[in-house]
Amino acid sequence: MCQLFSSTCIILLGGFLSLFFARQKKFSKGIAVLFLSGGCLLGLIDAAGKLLDPAGAGASASFRYLDLFSLSFHVDGLAAFFLTAIFAVSLMAAIYSFHYMGNEENGIKTGVNYFFFSVLIAAMALVVTAANILTFMISWEIMSLSSFFLVIYSHESAENRKAGYLYFVFSHVGAMFILAAFGLIYGHTGNFDFASLADVPETVKILIFVFSFIGFGSKAGVFPFHVWLPHAHPAAPSHISAVMSGVMIKTGIYGILRIYAILDFHTPVFGYITLIAGVISGILGVVYALGQHDIKRLLAYHSVENIGIILIGLGVGMIGAATGNPLVAVLGFAGGILHVLNHSVFKSLLFMGAGMVLHQTGTRSIDALGGLLKGMKITGTTFIMGSLAICGLPPFNGFVSEFFIYMGSFKTIALGSSISFSMSVFAIISLAVIGGLALACFTKVVGVVFQGEPRTLAAENVKEKGWAMMVPMGLLAAACVIIGVFPKMFIHMALKAVQALGLDYGRVPVEPFGQISCNITFAALLFLVMALIIMGIRSTCYKNKTDKNTTSGTWGCGFSQPTVKMQYTGSSYAGSILAFFSAAAPLSEDHPPIKGRFPLKTHYHSHVNDIAELYMKNVVVRPVFYLFDKLRWMQHGDIHLYIGYILLAIVLLLFFI
Amino acid sequence: MIQSILLWLAAILAAPFFSGLILKIKAFFGGKKGPPILINYYTLIKLFKKGSVYSNSTTIVFKLGPVISLAASITVLMFLPIAGFNPVFSFNGDVIFVLYVLGLGRFFTIAAAMDTASPFEGMGAAREAYFPIICEAAMFMILIFFYRITGELQLSAYFTGSNTLNMWSLAGAPLLFIVISFFIILLTENSRVPVDDPATHLELTMIHEVMVLDHSGPDFALIELGSFCKLMFYSTIISRMILPFESAIFGFPIVMYLAGLLAVYVAVGVTESVTARYRMDKVPQFVLTSFALAFFATIITLEFVK
Repeated sequence: MCQLFSSTCIILLGGFLSLFFARQKKFSKGIAVLFLSGGCLLGLIDAAGKLLDPAGAGASASFRYLDLFSLSFHVDGLAAFFLTAIFAVSLMAAIYSFHYMGNEENGIKTGVNYFFFSVLIAAMALVVTAANILTFMISWEIMSLSSFFLVIYSHESAENRKAGYLYFVFSHVGAMFILAAFGLIYGHTGNFDFASLADVPETVKILIFVFSFIGFGSKAGVFPFHVWLPHAHPAAPSHISAVMSGVMIKTGIYGILRIYAILDFHTPVFGYITLIAGVISGILGVVYALGQHDIKRLLAYHSVENIGIILIGLGVGMIGAATGNPLVAVLGFAGGILHVLNHSVFKSLLFMGAGMVLHQTGTRSIDALGGLLKGMKITGTTFIMGSLAICGLPPFNGFVSEFFIYMGSFKTIALGSSISFSMSVFAIISLAVIGGLALACFTKVVGVVFQGEPRTLAAENVKEKGWAMMVPMGLLAAACVIIGVFPKMFIHMALKAVQALGLDYGRVPVEPFGQISCNITFAALLFLVMALIIMGIRSTCYKNKTDKNTTSGTWGCGFSQPTVKMQYTGSSYAGSILAFFSAAAPLSEDHPPIKGRFPLKTHYHSHVNDIAELYMKNVVVRPVFYLFDKLRWMQHGDIHLYIGYILLAIVLLLFFI
Repeated sequence: MIQSILLWLAAILAAPFFSGLILKIKAFFGGKKGPPILINYYTLIKLFKKGSVYSNSTTIVFKLGPVISLAASITVLMFLPIAGFNPVFSFNGDVIFVLYVLGLGRFFTIAAAMDTASPFEGMGAAREAYFPIICEAAMFMILIFFYRITGELQLSAYFTGSNTLNMWSLAGAPLLFIVISFFIILLTENSRVPVDDPATHLELTMIHEVMVLDHSGPDFALIELGSFCKLMFYSTIISRMILPFESAIFGFPIVMYLAGLLAVYVAVGVTESVTARYRMDKVPQFVLTSFALAFFATIITLEFVK
């Protein structure tokens, strides 16, 4: 516990010092990066050590302030697992930010950014270790607010201010739902502890779960509460996007898991809710991602997709726990929890790659780029590796967690009941479709951004620079391969986290899962060996043929004047798939037709509408505005009457006590 | 083990021959003599001897594409029981690995096509990314069916020894749907008519052939071999499903297997000769048919197979 607090203090100190020395730009930045990465490293070693130590018991600490309320913290397997992800990604992001944050900008702004960055890391660490309602809520609010200030970092642009506002509204509506759930807990137990809620009636438990699912789901980006996510992530600086998408939204998953654990109520209904929410988020997330033109927005939608995959895993686990099938339960939960770590690794890698592209070209528009791999060897290669990982392809890490979830879902088929059968069919088919769509989406990004020829001037002769940006990308890409080929250690970490859920199975048996990890290692190595053999054959074929190998232009089927504008764009690449999903992702186009003999200049602009955003505007926002418009007479500016309102409210409430 | 490895090698070596058979059948329907039956070997040897022309637009990914796609095809053959004998390797859940490795091969084929900056190849790549999404859903539906019947998640549990025969006796009628559904997947994944036309690449409706337009020499040979092996993979499964008979007579399984393969390749050749390619926007419907069939078959098993 001591180590965790000291690392948090170092991180916060880094933020304060950066703000204090904000006028000395370089010094402020350097000291912030040093303290932040040092603190994260310390925390990472501590958390990973706790997870890997077989006998590692939890650690607790609590403080009281003037006997008003107590702040208490507890680190168990689940918390340690999320801490590992949080500190690992924040460490990488802190290093990355050293070269990403420009020197030419206002020093105060950089200082403020580092200050809130450090607060965000500390708050995330406190959220996952909080052991009572008050501590949790306070840390949660600090986390939401600090990330809000990070989202509006570039507040000069109206678009970013709007994104920040949207995020602010969503995180607070979500917090209200969480508060409602906590209120119910407090109302029935009478104390603030996250103790077991064994005596609470079952209907209340379901209500608590639904409230907290909505509240935490809005932070995690579960459809349809994900609306803020594709706006806020592109607005923030890239290292912040990496942290927000990589780990901050996972605190929502943590919340769902924690509430599930303390409810101690294994009903399949929770599993059904979680699984269906996961299926919808997963498929729609990737469909919307496919339709995006902005690389960071696209990645943000992929977070919605991956949250969906995580929820499918958790849903399978909950169904397994409810039907008393330990193997299904552990496979589902372990798959989902491992995917939390995997997603935080490859998603932060991808955001960093996108950040490098944005930094060097100045544009986020996919269709304006092209051919970047030639000048950006490291960024391009690591981005491709991250893409393979996010598509869940072997031998990368995404495959490992998806494999677990598949195994769990298939085993659910054998449970017998027809509902669990249809749930597992849902889970399996949607995982397959998500995999296929993610492959389409990332071949689009890789193909259009990194391959081919530059489509505009912005993408020409772009080089990568800044070792501090490239080193984290390299490390994260290496982590993708290591987890993908040798997943044993990471599976054990996930199992340790599952153990903390208290599924009544006592110690989770490790052997069957060790076998799965051995199989994955074997298969991955087999494939790599095959690829190496064929590479060897290929190079012998090309031996002594240097005179026969020539280079020339791309074969244009006889057409000799190709231009870069003739390349397939991202929009056309995704067009036919989006047409297939047009019911869920309606396309709006702006394209004045070409008329007459001497047509005027025309343009084409397409936008894929997010139905959640569309309906939220029409069904929720407009009626609420209308209603509040009618109540405007109450807001008259007379302070005496306002005090009267307060008195009236208190008197009315007295009747209910 | 030795036997399995020999069978695996034989499957890779025989794959070009069987693909040549399709050309012969198409020539027969066209009233022509057709190319020699070993044409694919001659082509491969010729290609291996040549050098390559690389486009100025391409990067290392373009050279990795053929390697990864061939590696994927021959790796999945290692997990496939050939003629009912044990596969080279097998583990619980290997089907999922096999399907995802094929996905990896696809990723690199598409990435290599996008590397050339050619509008044609981009178009082919977009379609290659689109249709397999539905195929993958159908494949997993078939897996659910197999899992319902056998309770296992490995290819060897479905296609070795008497396992296939047992499946027929448990769920004969639905399995018939699965065979048809699998044949549709075979046509789609291997870009045959009516989804794609392997004979030409200049029309804008092509998928696979247009994606490899810029590859030449040994690189192209690797791609060709990879697609022969991929077709072999799907055909072997169907062959085993339609002729799952067992006997103690020496060589009987091999004969059965070859007869099944012959049937599948002839069916592909005949389909190719007598049908026209679908319009591109009709293809998803065709592929969805295979999903619907597999889904229907699985629903039937819910009631009749306990």
